[in-house]
Amino acid sequence: MSVAAQAPAGDGVNWGSLTRHRSARTVVGSMAVALFLIVWQIVGGEEIIRSDLISTPSEVVETLVQMTASGELGSNLAVSLQEFILGFLPAIAVGIAAGTAFALSRRLHYLFEPLIVALNTSPIIAFVPIVVVWFGVGTQSKAIMVFLAAVIPIVINTMTGIGQVHESWIRACRAFGASKPQVIVKAILPGTLPSVMVGVRLAVGRAVVGLIAAEMYVSVHGIGRLIQVYSTSDRAAEIFVLVIVVATFGFLLVTLLRRIESLIAPWSLEQ
Amino acid sequence: MSRIGIAPVVRAPAGAAAPRREQLVLGVIGTLAFLLIWEVAARFDLINPVVVSNPSRIAAAFVTQLRSGEILGDLEVSLIEFAAGFGLSLVVGIGLGIAMGLNRLTEYALDPFVWFLYSSPLIAFYPLIIVWLGFGFATVVAITFLLSFVSIVVNTVAGVHGVDPQLIRAVRAFGGTRLDVIRKVILPAAVPLIIAGMRIGLGRALHGVVLGEMFSSNAGLGYRITFYAAHLRTADVFVPLVILVVIGLLINQLGNALEARLQAWRT
Repeated sequence: MSVAAQAPAGDGVNWGSLTRHRSARTVVGSMAVALFLIVWQIVGGEEIIRSDLISTPSEVVETLVQMTASGELGSNLAVSLQEFILGFLPAIAVGIAAGTAFALSRRLHYLFEPLIVALNTSPIIAFVPIVVVWFGVGTQSKAIMVFLAAVIPIVINTMTGIGQVHESWIRACRAFGASKPQVIVKAILPGTLPSVMVGVRLAVGRAVVGLIAAEMYVSVHGIGRLIQVYSTSDRAAEIFVLVIVVATFGFLLVTLLRRIESLIAPWSLEQ
Repeated sequence: MSRIGIAPVVRAPAGAAAPRREQLVLGVIGTLAFLLIWEVAARFDLINPVVVSNPSRIAAAFVTQLRSGEILGDLEVSLIEFAAGFGLSLVVGIGLGIAMGLNRLTEYALDPFVWFLYSSPLIAFYPLIIVWLGFGFATVVAITFLLSFVSIVVNTVAGVHGVDPQLIRAVRAFGGTRLDVIRKVILPAAVPLIIAGMRIGLGRALHGVVLGEMFSSNAGLGYRITFYAAHLRTADVFVPLVILVVIGLLINQLGNALEARLQAWRT
């Protein structure tokens, strides 16, 4: 499974070369963004392109404030967050347990491998309608979509993580007289954690997409529902606000995870 | 490779044929067992066969849909949209990636936008594209493009940055033009990373096709899934769904083959 081999290296994209020359980068980057916003404001404001199609930055900010004040954003965000947590926490538990079991028994892994590979390579949002038919239009189907989208990367990364624990750590523990449980707690768990956390971060991105798609497909509340409502309204400002909200939602979750990671496994961020 | 006192995860290099066969046999057994349990559970009404469906009903639906030819038409639509969207991503992604890789100012200026598109769940942009392009082919292609081109850009930039500057200087010293440098040095050197980006892009492009078709189209495999689901024809839903899963697997195999080829070519 080559997915497993490349997953712990992050998402397979190399940002390394993009982090040199920090100050020039920041200056040019901010200027480009500022220029973009100014052009957008002028083009939208002067109706060079119909402003209901592209809106303007100022209108987007106004709409953001307005949607926040009216509680429209907050209440829907709360529903989405709840559905997310209901699916994501079980995905972490099941993913780590299954990944550990597969790492311990090669035969068990082979039995489930076709299913895992199929779920990993197929477009997960295609499962939304069938999950809704099976589990109804409410919270349950959204949580199941989050679970399905999130569990696979966690399984795969837990499995590879255990396989990549340094043999020397285990030998060192043994040499100093560690028992088997001690080896697990002192060597295998800390060695596996970084890879598991990479899996969890990958899972966040997928789970957000699964959740939004499920809410867009059918729901009463939630950010995905709002997206669906405004997609037929020709109101670009609201759509941009939702883009910002969804992007921030994903960004905050990943940042939060990095914080947790640096608390429980500070060694993993050094790698 | 690590040996940690518990069962090794990594395939043993010696006698690799035996575990390979074991892997295949156990994989087939696992899949068949899954289908059998599903079938039996539905037969004995442990799960509702009409709502949940079962493998035999799905097989029958497959035959019916293939006979009527409708599903083949949807497959064709999806493949065309996929090819158009991903083709566009390749051209724009590699072009933009080279431009950003060669020119620092371009790179710095476009960096925040690329980063934003890469890290935000692009599904949120879909209403905007519908507002701009309406329902149908153009929207599906645009979403496919949007989802897949960023990973190609990012990896192409990284690939160009990895080129040995000595090689570029050598070509210039012997009178090569900038175009020669791009054709003879940069593209070949950046190919491994570009292909890695393509692999990610292919998967995301398939997501884009399905997303676009599910929410803003009246043809294609994604549309067919929502159509049958809306009519509660569960067995029929599985036909386009299984085809999509198979396409996903094929794309993954294609990626594996490309990378293996490349590995052989480089060593």
